[in-house]
Amino acid sequence: MSEPSTPRPREHPPALRRALTALDRYRGLLALLAVFLLGVVFSPRHLTTGQSLFLTGENQANVLFEYAEYGILAAGMTLVILTAGIDLSVGSVLGLSATAFSFLMIAKGWPAWLAILACCLLGAACGTVNGALVSALRIQPFVATLAMMVAARGLAKLVSGGIKVQPGAQPWYAFQSAPPHFFGWMTSPVIGDWLKPITLLFLLVIILMAVLVRFTRFGRHLYAIGGNEEAARLSGIQVGRSKTSAYLLCGLLAGLAGICNACRMELGDPEAGFTYELDAIAAVVIGGTSLMGGRGGMMLTLIGTLIIGYINKILSLNGVEEAFRLLAKGAIIVAAVLIQRRR
Amino acid sequence: MNAKRLTALLTLSLAILCLGCPSQPKPTTGPAERRAAKQAERAGQPARTFTIGMSQCNLGEPWRVQMNKDVEEAARKHPELQISFKDAQNKTEVQQAQVREFVAQGVDLLIISPKEALPLTKPVAEAYDKGIPVIVLDRKVQGDKFTCFIGGDNVMIGREAGKFLVKKLGPSTSLGAVSVSNRGKGSIVELKGLMTSTPGQERHDGFMEGIKGSDLKIIFDADCHWLEPDAQKEMNSALSRFDRIDAVYAHNDPSAHGAYLAAKQEGKGREKRIVFIGIDALPHEGIKYVEQGILAATFQYPTGGADAIDIALKILNGEEVPKNIILGTRLFTKDTLPAGQYIAPGEQS
Repeated sequence: MSEPSTPRPREHPPALRRALTALDRYRGLLALLAVFLLGVVFSPRHLTTGQSLFLTGENQANVLFEYAEYGILAAGMTLVILTAGIDLSVGSVLGLSATAFSFLMIAKGWPAWLAILACCLLGAACGTVNGALVSALRIQPFVATLAMMVAARGLAKLVSGGIKVQPGAQPWYAFQSAPPHFFGWMTSPVIGDWLKPITLLFLLVIILMAVLVRFTRFGRHLYAIGGNEEAARLSGIQVGRSKTSAYLLCGLLAGLAGICNACRMELGDPEAGFTYELDAIAAVVIGGTSLMGGRGGMMLTLIGTLIIGYINKILSLNGVEEAFRLLAKGAIIVAAVLIQRRR
Repeated sequence: MNAKRLTALLTLSLAILCLGCPSQPKPTTGPAERRAAKQAERAGQPARTFTIGMSQCNLGEPWRVQMNKDVEEAARKHPELQISFKDAQNKTEVQQAQVREFVAQGVDLLIISPKEALPLTKPVAEAYDKGIPVIVLDRKVQGDKFTCFIGGDNVMIGREAGKFLVKKLGPSTSLGAVSVSNRGKGSIVELKGLMTSTPGQERHDGFMEGIKGSDLKIIFDADCHWLEPDAQKEMNSALSRFDRIDAVYAHNDPSAHGAYLAAKQEGKGREKRIVFIGIDALPHEGIKYVEQGILAATFQYPTGGADAIDIALKILNGEEVPKNIILGTRLFTKDTLPAGQYIAPGEQS
């Protein structure tokens, strides 16, 4: 009798195999759970009541509030990455939008809704330029959005006149001492004690984008283009238009994130959003969406954003020095990606 | 990814986190001390430790490292105070989050040196409204929702810097018994600190007051954000644009030093002909530069760290404290070393 020449793979019993498959499917969620548990274990306590600082509703709301901008950027970035592209300009577009929004409201005294509309359109315009460069002019996404990253930063400095746009920065500003009421409204709780408009906006964006990606034809086209662009083109998908739309939405969301930033800082900083694009990409990657395109989703990005947010929060609550913080984050990015890798 | 690898990686992350955590300051009350405190309480004498949260905006600046050191040294003399330090690494959102964390932690008092006035006003106000006394150091917040502000008088320092340059660059005074008014003449490069922070604005305004009526002109000015590499860059462009620079007024010593290096590296020997003055006068920095002849003068900007602890103790003991405490300055030149010439706030030299 001849023995097989290749060694047989280790066979798990069926129940364990099912469990491991389930574990594999929900690995993103499990990673988030693991981080959360780390937070509970390492949580400092309130000095008088002794209550865990990590395990409070306020803390979770704070994490969502503080990472709202990164999350909104990551949502837009997911759309682009699904098509196997990348958008390096989101940080600069955030800065441009924050500056423009502050300028329109603080300096020119525009009403909030008009300024929001204008800044979203501005972000969408930057995104459209990106999309056009990528699809019509066939420039590599990395290069095209790199150019936009630099140009948008320049535009932001142009709009602000090189300074930070805050009340009283110039004598002709409409607001001289305090910013318009809208700024404070966005960062004050509206539901209960901790839910602020910026937090709710973040959640709304994630839900809308999740629906867009999962349940619309546009979303399915993005996956198809990312999976195999030629096959998508041959099967009749308008690849150029879909890609441009993805970049447009990414830019629009960057504009929205800029508005949140301006409200949080109560001023418009042309340097705002510097290196935010890296955090957005990290959130998408840690969540499990593939940089090669064609695989991933919006909920995964939410998980990725929360993982980054909670890790930062744990390190911050425990007063960890900056040096260790950066080392830990680097290690965790690699670990998360390895965990996400398919067998 | 099988379960084994997953576990290994999670353990790795845990290990790295554990490595990082020891930077949390150890509580000064160990079990033995707590027992002693309980004993003292029972003996009818109250004994309590107070936790103070200190939010620093940027330990990348040597002056702020000194501020934290001053706070720590002053607190060491009072074992009932435990200070928890957080550094925002020059990021406003991080400092906002750290203030929120101190409030959530329930600190007894908050000391903060804000990066910028406007974004930190609301978090500080929230802490104040929750009953946590707040001491603001060096840079102000807007409004009055804080317990005490301790800072130097940057307008006065700027003014003194201006007057120093007027004297230094002017024609010599007095013909016999008649004193000729010294109008000072020259081209000045002003290397400014972060202009969205109050010290930058005030050092500039004071300087303009100080040189008013003289023939000194500012031919070039730039916002160097208190950072030496930025100042060096800006000085390089000033040197290439202007043939004649008589003096450099930098808002802090690192910037002045950066300007000096730029002039030296230019290779034309201009660093010997330009008068460099700065502000801060840290012992291992500005004062050293004056000793070495790099700076003609530097003005001490006191960190206020020790004063903060004194005021903190008063507040925690329930005493009234003034809303604003303005500290004086010392002028350090080759002649006034090593102790410097004291100029009280509000005084005209």
